[in-house]
Amino acid sequence: MAEMTPRKRALLCVTGNKRRADRISCMDTLTTCTVDQMNAVKAPFPEANRDPELAFKLAAAAWEVIGLEGFKLPFDLCVEAEALGCKINWGRIDRHPSVETHVFNDLKDLKIPDDIVERGRFPLKHDVELRLRKEYGDYLPIVNQVTGPFTVAGHIFGIEKFCIWTKKRPLADVREALMQISEMNIADCKKALKSGTDVVCIADPSATSDILSPTFFKEAMLPVYQNMAKKIGAPIVLHICGNTSSYLPFIADTGFDAFSVDAQVDPGFAKAIVGDKIAIVGGVPTITALLFGTPQKVKEAAIDAIKKGVDVLMPSCGIPPRTPTENFKAMVDVARCMVYV
Amino acid sequence: MATKEEIVNGFMKAIVDGDEEASAKWAKEAVAAGLDAYEMVTKHGGDAMTIVNQKYEKKEYFVPEVLCAANALNAGVDILSPHMKADKTSVPATVVLAVVEGDIHDIGKNLVKIMLSAAGFRVIDMGKDVPSAALVEKVKETKADVLGMSALMSTTMPRMKNVIDMLKDQGIRGKVKVIVGGGPVTKDWALSIGADDRPHDASAAVGATKGLVEKLRAERGETW
Repeated sequence: MAEMTPRKRALLCVTGNKRRADRISCMDTLTTCTVDQMNAVKAPFPEANRDPELAFKLAAAAWEVIGLEGFKLPFDLCVEAEALGCKINWGRIDRHPSVETHVFNDLKDLKIPDDIVERGRFPLKHDVELRLRKEYGDYLPIVNQVTGPFTVAGHIFGIEKFCIWTKKRPLADVREALMQISEMNIADCKKALKSGTDVVCIADPSATSDILSPTFFKEAMLPVYQNMAKKIGAPIVLHICGNTSSYLPFIADTGFDAFSVDAQVDPGFAKAIVGDKIAIVGGVPTITALLFGTPQKVKEAAIDAIKKGVDVLMPSCGIPPRTPTENFKAMVDVARCMVYV
Repeated sequence: MATKEEIVNGFMKAIVDGDEEASAKWAKEAVAAGLDAYEMVTKHGGDAMTIVNQKYEKKEYFVPEVLCAANALNAGVDILSPHMKADKTSVPATVVLAVVEGDIHDIGKNLVKIMLSAAGFRVIDMGKDVPSAALVEKVKETKADVLGMSALMSTTMPRMKNVIDMLKDQGIRGKVKVIVGGGPVTKDWALSIGADDRPHDASAAVGATKGLVEKLRAERGETW
């Protein structure tokens, strides 16, 4: 029997059908870039975030250097904010770009140009995705990452200001702003799907229950996410950082295919709450295991995550740039020898 | 004219509710009634923030509610501060706070600042994205009792270890207590890099800081 391609495997696992796959997938839908990979393929940060040739090399390094079973673009969370006019601090080799200035003073100032996905680094992202598809054929999945609506709102308005508005402004107005941002995400994904991508990852790190109440999540975020689930038309993974335990019942109702849990949420607990409604991906702690652990510790964490039922084996959050390659590879090794019987 | 009790209760409720206008209104009433402005801010404002703190701890309040309460407190303080006669009898402990280099997520740090200031600490806020060397320099310059570091990203939290190692290298680790915090920072990890504590949230940071300052003052073999 021909070996199942990583792409087919990933698409089964991420949609909650891992039992139909030959084994668990280790596609990583979050930030995969490490300094080791940048050096190996000579495509370092910060240049690789802006140069199409370097971006292609660094995206490919996830597979070529580590063996992760998929590609993901972009490498940072600033594409949306930059295209909307925020100033970006480009960081350095072991430091991701970050948003420096906000562009809108008030909810009512929000204006997203119709051609937004033709601005800033959106075209670069889509071009590199298309090139990966051309050069690697259908063998590996390609993930188009978008920065989620709440996180973008924090970037363009300022997070503290936006947090205060969640209390002081009519909920409908706040939700409407988030909805408008989600339409930009949807347009981005439509374009990316035409560029050959298979999976969407919505990274909304700021929408965490360390910041927001479950009530706000239910009343504002849930309808926005449901809108995205309805319109995007591809398997979707949502990632939210931190402890999201209190959101899990609502996350199960988003209509997304998978939820990526951070290290503060036990994957077994998450599975118990969401049942079959949404797949749970992640499970390998980025700090204690991948960054500061040993290959043995990573393997133990990965096996534990699989036992707890994760559907795709991946790091619990974006990979810290200084993560040693041997640790990152140890995670992939575990996925490769986990065969379902 | 409102009674003292009505003014104090109104002021405290305004803060707990995060109502800036009401807080300013009650602060003006307090000035008009000749109430002690210092006591209004440090005692009643502080007590109100303790209530906010407790609600946050019980997950009745979240970050937005705390930010609104802090804004309400500040609205009152703006009106009361010109009338304050500061209490100079006790020297407050100094806390240096910062978000580590590479990280720009400062909500958590700002909450800690709000809570510690309300609890009477002298807080020196270095802001976000602060280089390790600058942080160590500031600790030395201000003879800080406690250094608080925050990181919200798993990609930046290793910087905390970097700062603690620099304190050790310069032989001043014993002079200052270190607390760390932020979403991905676990207590085990915090202790493993040599931090003194990892309070589980901004509200717990107040108790932890008080405890560490007492410990430091009891030890005080090594003083600045």
